[in-house]
Amino acid sequence: MNCGRTRQVIEMDPGEHTVDELAEEIASIDDVETLESILDAERGGDDRKTAKEAIERRIEAVGEDEPTEDGTASADDVDGGEGSEGDANETDDDAGDADETDDDAGDADGGETSDGDTGEADEDDEDDGLSHPTRDKKHVRALQGGDYEDMWVFCETQAGELTDVSKEMLGKARELMDAYAEEYGDEEDVVAVVIGEDCAELAEETIAYGADVAVFHDDPRLSRFVHKPYTEIAAHMARGQGSLESTEWRAYDEPRYALFPATNNGRDLSALVQAELDSGLASDCSDLFIEDVEISNPVKTGEPGVKKVFERVLHMKRPDFSGFEYSTILCLDNPDRDFHPQGASVIPGTFEVPEPDPDREGLVVEHEMELEDWFGVEVLEHDQLDEGVDLTGHEVVVCLGRGIGDDPTLGMELGLELTDAFEDAAFGITRGIVTSSYQFDGHVEAYSKEERQIGETGQEVAPELYIAAGVSGAVQHKVGIDDSGTIVAINTDPDARIRDFSDYFIEGDLFEVLPALTEAVESGELPVEALADGGIDR
Amino acid sequence: MSANGYEEFEAVVVGCGPGGAAAAARLADHGVETLVLERGVEAGSKNVSGGLIYGEKSAPYTAEELFPGFREEAAERPVTETYIHNVAGDRVKSYDLTDIHEHDTAWCEAVLRRKMDSWLEKRVHERTSETGGGVLTDVRVNGLLRENGEIVGVTCDELDPIRAELIVAADGVNSELARDAGLMDWEEPEEWFQGVKAVVDVEPGEIEDRFALGEDEGLAHLFSGDLFEGVRGGGFLYTNESSLSIGTVFHLDSLVERRAEPHELLDALLTHPLLAQWLDADYDEREYAAKLVPDSKKVALKEPYADRLVVVGDAAGQMQAQGPIIKGMNHAVTAGALAADAFAVTRGNADPEAAGRRYATMLEESGTMSKLRPRRYELARTVGERDLVTRAVEGVLDSPVGRLALGNRLADRALERAYNSPYLVSMLPDTRTGYVTVPTIVGEQHGRPVTWENEVEPPELIDRIGDLTYDTDVGNPHIELLDESFEASGAAVYACPVSAEGFGGGCYRAETVRTNGGEETLVSLDTQPCVECGTCAVVADTDWEHPRGGKGVEYRQG
Repeated sequence: MNCGRTRQVIEMDPGEHTVDELAEEIASIDDVETLESILDAERGGDDRKTAKEAIERRIEAVGEDEPTEDGTASADDVDGGEGSEGDANETDDDAGDADETDDDAGDADGGETSDGDTGEADEDDEDDGLSHPTRDKKHVRALQGGDYEDMWVFCETQAGELTDVSKEMLGKARELMDAYAEEYGDEEDVVAVVIGEDCAELAEETIAYGADVAVFHDDPRLSRFVHKPYTEIAAHMARGQGSLESTEWRAYDEPRYALFPATNNGRDLSALVQAELDSGLASDCSDLFIEDVEISNPVKTGEPGVKKVFERVLHMKRPDFSGFEYSTILCLDNPDRDFHPQGASVIPGTFEVPEPDPDREGLVVEHEMELEDWFGVEVLEHDQLDEGVDLTGHEVVVCLGRGIGDDPTLGMELGLELTDAFEDAAFGITRGIVTSSYQFDGHVEAYSKEERQIGETGQEVAPELYIAAGVSGAVQHKVGIDDSGTIVAINTDPDARIRDFSDYFIEGDLFEVLPALTEAVESGELPVEALADGGIDR
Repeated sequence: MSANGYEEFEAVVVGCGPGGAAAAARLADHGVETLVLERGVEAGSKNVSGGLIYGEKSAPYTAEELFPGFREEAAERPVTETYIHNVAGDRVKSYDLTDIHEHDTAWCEAVLRRKMDSWLEKRVHERTSETGGGVLTDVRVNGLLRENGEIVGVTCDELDPIRAELIVAADGVNSELARDAGLMDWEEPEEWFQGVKAVVDVEPGEIEDRFALGEDEGLAHLFSGDLFEGVRGGGFLYTNESSLSIGTVFHLDSLVERRAEPHELLDALLTHPLLAQWLDADYDEREYAAKLVPDSKKVALKEPYADRLVVVGDAAGQMQAQGPIIKGMNHAVTAGALAADAFAVTRGNADPEAAGRRYATMLEESGTMSKLRPRRYELARTVGERDLVTRAVEGVLDSPVGRLALGNRLADRALERAYNSPYLVSMLPDTRTGYVTVPTIVGEQHGRPVTWENEVEPPELIDRIGDLTYDTDVGNPHIELLDESFEASGAAVYACPVSAEGFGGGCYRAETVRTNGGEETLVSLDTQPCVECGTCAVVADTDWEHPRGGKGVEYRQG
């Protein structure tokens, strides 16, 4: 205990200190009488309830400690310990300085934190056989009172192209920073980050989508997302390191804001980079805006009962409670510790893909950095998932409905034959067939599955020619074919709904009409009269 | 969050219909932290009712008392006149039922459920928010959370399990919670009615003209007789602000037995000459809807609770359908509010069933149970519903003596009195005699021919389905057909209100399949057109669940 300091503060006027400061000051006073006199001074002065409580707590604590004499259990020791831990990396604060203005808010209730700290210390002594890789993790790079500017957008690439969500974020960032310049009078940049192989051109492209500056790191080993190197590079860039060509465009410690895509890789990268920069992250956001906000939380203001306005705060809206409510997340500095960049990951599709402007000008900066042994994970094999049958993009689509019910297998065969007669045709079915109990023979069964379903809950097609055989024409089917060029329907029922939206309606049995059509397509001659009679006898 | 990672609320209410809304509002009044989970995109989007809600003089709670402004803002029109029409061919005999309608009735309003329930949802959200809860939509509760065999909460498709001190199952006629708790089943068709309804658009101001009504007046017309191919049940027409609710309600066992198509029975009513006075060729159907209705006389739970679970409304079978009286929503309101009160007075009691037992007692003491399960009916049913007795009575009625008895003038007046006696009406056994034979003879003997030409062309089923709004849960059907033989599940092909024999666009289709030289008829199922009424859960062999939150059919009228 620093007795000298104890004497020093006897003279102190509690009214000159915030409650937090006061709590810190008196934490080193062991003398009940001294404390009582401070309490009296407070009563006679500002008479703050919180201040009096803080002093009373201290008096109580000292009273309890007195008989033990050794002092190990007293809150002040532990507080002191925590203080020195925090001091190590901070530039200008010494817990003893009476004029200190931004103490750790957590110290206000030393009792609670001390328990936790003591507990940890105990664990340290025991060897539990685990490596505890994060034991020494301290906020080593956390800044306080740093300079922050710009909105950084961490772009994702796939197969050598910017993904849509990257463009969406750039467009949104442009919009936000334009509004920011108008509101606050400061022109700050949208900075695009591109990491990958052969990505210089993509960096160039981000300018067209709204970036002012594009920073890229190009390395063949980065062709796929790998956690460690991507994280190290991104954090390195954000701290302003490694841009050899030109650093003039940035004169700040870290980005003010950071956006990431909430994709599989983006979610990983966002959490790692934001942790590396010792800030927070609002994940999976669905809206963003920048605004001032008034806060009364003492952890943020440093003093209970005081309101403080935080300027230029990125408001990050995200679905909460599994998407049933929305929360707005704010990432605010503490009095003694900054939380920047204010970071969010953005759900793909949330914002519009902007129209690229090829004439936009911007600065493209190559980032340089020695990549260390960060490639422990290697992609040995990769496979593209089978995406099923694509019925779109064909000139002709032949679709069968429940009209095949009398002989489902034969119906399918006839439909497939007609499909094959065309040069570029696809074969589809209605939901009525997919969900039926029809027993198909093996060779056509594969065509009766959901992957070929046309309609609202299947695929939507828009061929030049759509041939619907034995399809009744429910609304759910209609929406799947509405954009087709010419619609030809074959149905035994002249009142079938499909007639209302067909260009040609053939009243007849598909088992007769389909072979006739196949023959006509193959021969190039259409025997219209025979069709009108309801088919051709074979 | 509790220590074991579950969300925890003091009370969880499942379903935001009138029962759930009343429970939640009363719980909030008692300062209870209450979470309401609604599976629709909005309360009312999953709900259908014929359309009358009563405020009973004898009831401890009414919707208007619990939710001030209800009648003005959530309802359509008050019912100021009630008639029943006995139909025999084109002969119709009508009686004024206003007396029985007004018996014990403080007020009665025609309602459309989307409007009514969504209005309730807003009030409930406001009130439950004040005590730390609120309403969440698009959440389907799929079962009960149990610990050591005891019910302690609910599990959901969309959220983590939620623990609560009180669980209110207000999840409707197909309550998955009541079934999970073993309180209800879907076994016997004779315990259920099935209703189908068309909401018919009418130009604003037209209702007053067509029905000779003032602005704050409304009508209820009931129909019975031989309109419906001998199927036991009847029809109704209620006036809304600028639409009509026209529907039919039948005993499900009778529908199955007669192999009747519900939508055709509705069409039979819509196209009857009697309705030509109110409907014209410009018939415009806003919405086709269907639901099951529990027959409270047979299934209203005498002990609607298990552990911390209490069951209210349709979920507990609290639907009073006796002759022309159909009351459900008012009883749900009463039950919901009483369940909340029961929890408030037994709070802190170590016995998990304390609230449930108290709730059952309050239902009994408030007289609600005796309305739902009248003892008179239980006594009358033992003789009245036996086939033999029915046949004997029918024989007499059909004989010249019986017809004379029903046909004379004295009988006419006695009949009107009988219809208007709550005592006699509650005794009417559910046989053909009450529903079909008597009204038919009355129509024949007393009726006057109705010769108006009805020009209504009701939409076909394919269009009725096409006009409904669905958010199909692709690849995740909520009903599984366990037995596809026609013997086990064929009844669904006709009894399902969105299926029909010979119609390929419905849920259930009969298909003749050739296998190994033989031929058999199989039933196949497509759940896309499903209106979630629950009919097939009773008449077919299925594994039946509701769709996930927000998925499936979305009623705009309800």
